[in-house]
Amino acid sequence: MRLNPLTVKKIKRFKSLRRGYYSLIIMGALLLVAVFAELFVNNRALVVYYEGSLRFPTYGSQIAGTEFGFDYSHETNYRDLRDRLRAEGGGFVIMPPVPFGPQEDAYPGEFIRPRPPDFGNRNFLGTDTQNRDVLARLVYGFRNAMIFAFGFVGGVYLLGIAIGCAMGYFGGWFDLITQRFIEIWSNIPFLYTVIFVSSVFEPSLLLLLGIIVAFSWTGMTYYMRTGTFKEKAREYVAAAQILGASTSRIIFHHILPNIIATLVTFMPFLMITAITSLTALDFLGYGLPEPTPSWGELLRQGTERLKIAPWITLSAFAAMTVVLTLMAFVGEAVREAFDPKKFTIYE
Amino acid sequence: MMRTSVRFSLLTALAGIAAVLFAGCCRNDARGGFDPADAPDIRPELAEYYEEHSDFFRFRTLDDIPDDLEWTDNMHLPDIGSPEARKGGVQRGSMGDFPRTLRVVGPEANNAFRRFILDDMLVGLAGLHPNVPGGHKSYPGVAQEWAVDYENRTVYARLNPDARWSDGEPVTVDDVMFMFFFYQSAYINDPWYNNWYGIGINYTNITKYDEHTLSITMREARPDLERRILNLRPLPKHFFREMGDDFVQRYQWRFMPTTGPYVITDEEIERIRFNRDSITLTRLKDWWARDLKFYRNRFNADQIRLRVIRDTPKAFEAFLLGHLDMFGMNLTEYNYDMLPDDHPLVRDGFIHKSTFYNDIPRPSWGLWINSSMPHLDNNDIRIGIHYALNWDQVLEQFFRGDYVRMQTTADGYGDMTHPDIRARPFDPDRAMEFFAKAGFTERGSDGILRNERGQRLSFNINTGAAPFRGILAILRQEARKAGLELRLEILDPSANWLKVQEKNHDIAFVGLNVSVERYPRYWETYHSSNAYHDAFLEDGTPNPDRRVRTQTNNMQVIANFELDQLIERYDESDCLDEMRELAFRMEEILHEDASFVPAFVFPKFRVAYWRWVRWPDDFNVRFAREPTEYYVHWFDEERRAETELAVRPGGWLARFIPGAARDVGEVPARFPKKVRVFDQWLAVPEDVLEE
Repeated sequence: MRLNPLTVKKIKRFKSLRRGYYSLIIMGALLLVAVFAELFVNNRALVVYYEGSLRFPTYGSQIAGTEFGFDYSHETNYRDLRDRLRAEGGGFVIMPPVPFGPQEDAYPGEFIRPRPPDFGNRNFLGTDTQNRDVLARLVYGFRNAMIFAFGFVGGVYLLGIAIGCAMGYFGGWFDLITQRFIEIWSNIPFLYTVIFVSSVFEPSLLLLLGIIVAFSWTGMTYYMRTGTFKEKAREYVAAAQILGASTSRIIFHHILPNIIATLVTFMPFLMITAITSLTALDFLGYGLPEPTPSWGELLRQGTERLKIAPWITLSAFAAMTVVLTLMAFVGEAVREAFDPKKFTIYE
Repeated sequence: MMRTSVRFSLLTALAGIAAVLFAGCCRNDARGGFDPADAPDIRPELAEYYEEHSDFFRFRTLDDIPDDLEWTDNMHLPDIGSPEARKGGVQRGSMGDFPRTLRVVGPEANNAFRRFILDDMLVGLAGLHPNVPGGHKSYPGVAQEWAVDYENRTVYARLNPDARWSDGEPVTVDDVMFMFFFYQSAYINDPWYNNWYGIGINYTNITKYDEHTLSITMREARPDLERRILNLRPLPKHFFREMGDDFVQRYQWRFMPTTGPYVITDEEIERIRFNRDSITLTRLKDWWARDLKFYRNRFNADQIRLRVIRDTPKAFEAFLLGHLDMFGMNLTEYNYDMLPDDHPLVRDGFIHKSTFYNDIPRPSWGLWINSSMPHLDNNDIRIGIHYALNWDQVLEQFFRGDYVRMQTTADGYGDMTHPDIRARPFDPDRAMEFFAKAGFTERGSDGILRNERGQRLSFNINTGAAPFRGILAILRQEARKAGLELRLEILDPSANWLKVQEKNHDIAFVGLNVSVERYPRYWETYHSSNAYHDAFLEDGTPNPDRRVRTQTNNMQVIANFELDQLIERYDESDCLDEMRELAFRMEEILHEDASFVPAFVFPKFRVAYWRWVRWPDDFNVRFAREPTEYYVHWFDEERRAETELAVRPGGWLARFIPGAARDVGEVPARFPKKVRVFDQWLAVPEDVLEE
């Protein structure tokens, strides 16, 4: 793929900003872990060798206990299977490094209460108030947060760009009316709406995403509107119009690439907004439904029990700090790399 | 920036909240902002109403009272509370929210604060003696003696001439009559009262013989006739003189004069106009009943001060700092993790813990399966769900053995509770047998059972009880073993209640509170008229066009013709033995129907309190649902001073913070540890745990 020399320059510049560049690499690695979380943190085994055949239960359907010689038809408990095969022989089981699912009781049959980290049981960050592994919940909570963040960025960009560009390009009455609408819309209390909606409907990732996007796209329109206004007056747009290009072609092929730089610099910060919003909602109890793993829910549990279970808050807080800091570093670097002042020559 | 816009929205939200609060403040002053000059006068309407319903409101003379009545006052019953109790001190408690009104009826009046101005406080005709075994006995209240004419379903009562409202007005028969008018009135905007006290619904007549003598007649001769009449509470007629169309607003922030010991003073009413962080009740020094038997050892604190603390964890911290006197320890986590018996404050005797076992009806925690929903209308599915729920694990893991399984729909009614019915245990294999009967035979790739049409065996389960979310997590995990998926929905309590009342739930995890009564109620929760409009045709077959009835407590939407007949007979019966037989039969039907999954009961209550809170030797009265309900505790201010001295300048703190130790003179750095278990049937506590 041939890149625009300007873009190459920007990428070079970004790479030279060490802090941001390495942050991006770490974020990428974390994302990769999150995408393949099932291989690292899971109650399903990676490999089972049983009665002469190999099986890989991580992905795919549940395997009933009966297939491994248990007397139940629900999903095999691979930790039990591992212990049994170790004792009796006849095969082996390789479990992921953290052998617990995010919704699973890590101490089955024992009292429900937060437990401190126990390396012997491979609860590296302890358990939460439901005997669930904190690390497992952090990892899957991170995945949910990232899905949410990407969805949020996508939604906000889609609405913000489409409406903002339209406002800038068409101007006139459309611009005037949409602006007034945005002013009114952004005055609706966001938190009330979320509380109201999530008490009426069953909250889900999509619903929350919808609500938060619905209240966040307005800011983006201002940048797109001004950007489009500015570009619209340029000669190349007039030229395109004379050549008979359609409105959508002019907007998406000619104007948008010229104002895209602004958009890119927003992205990491938008993702930070998304993650903090989701965490805040979960913390307040208006977020994702139980028992979806989420950071906000961990923080809520933890802050209610700071004295008896500090590891919950510490883990969630540390995870959040690390991820948000990395994103902020990436964001700073992107902004600096895309800063037009660096390359603008005033004549 | 996006961030700015989100923050801006949050600011707007805060501004909105502030606006609402200020609006609330402005509406509120001692008379609710209403000028007494243009107040309506209810008296002409009252007289007219009495005349119009002269069958219900009757006026006779003393000569009309039958001569052969047997008057009783039950003064032989034991005193309530301890003679060692001393008056004085301040009870410091908390509430989750500031009350939205001081009215005791009407919109938003049924709130957590009401018990401080009505339920636990207002003295009725005669109280239910909370401390005698066997049948329910009354002790004098506003009425000093009474006579039961069972055949005519009538109770006669003579009011105590000394009884006074807290504003000094005497309590008379007019106040009792007015109570009926008040509750029947449309002005109060409270359909429940309109119905319960409606003419001919439960009560058919009240007769005034003179200022202090009356009789009240019920429609049915129920076995607990005496209690149902004597627990009525007069209302201050003179206070409600301004009743009218604007009743709800006019009385929103006015404190109703009470026959009870605590009032909210005018200064306090004025104060809470601007400051809603707390509310204080003050004991009447010259309360008319203060030296009477059954009252003299109770209601001991000079003041009850309730702070608004919204979160339980924060209230708990306030308790540990000594800002609150007591904290309920019913939640397992608080008792074992937050404040275990070896916590320094407990170990060194600053905080005592007491557990009190008693046998009274308990909130009916359970799963209410909406049998009007698809699949859930199938009896096999419902029975399967019973077997798929691992309550034993909940009891062991979540409650650590503190709670016990509920067996029927009405546990704790003594001999009125079915002795043999046992709730179905966890048994995934049997559960799957029943699911298979309903066509759910194959497990899908996610382990959930499916039927031929590919539908998954999956239901929503909703609750408003956030502290119990862990229970549902266990049930959910275990139910998967039987191929049943439960999708959890933890809602705000009022949103959850709304959902259940609209019958929009699949399965609701709800506990209905119950009062201490002689026998359980069935009509509200199980009669078909609370399930459907026109549930059955004339011949008893289900009406094909029936519509679900909302806003009732039949949360299972159960409509069973036989059950209806039994409930009707039960509600008309005047014989306890017959009622028992009917109740047992109904419990059997309900067990078969399997639309209610009995969950658990807590057969006791547990409380932690600072050592300056004192209790009777046997801790509490038998019918107490919670430690402070009958106000038998008192506050030892000397102990409070001593304890605070021991805690603050050194004491146990010195062991954790070097240099905090100071010379505290004779004050001991620790006190005897007291972690005690009481049983209502034993006079002396089991001192097994005491050190």
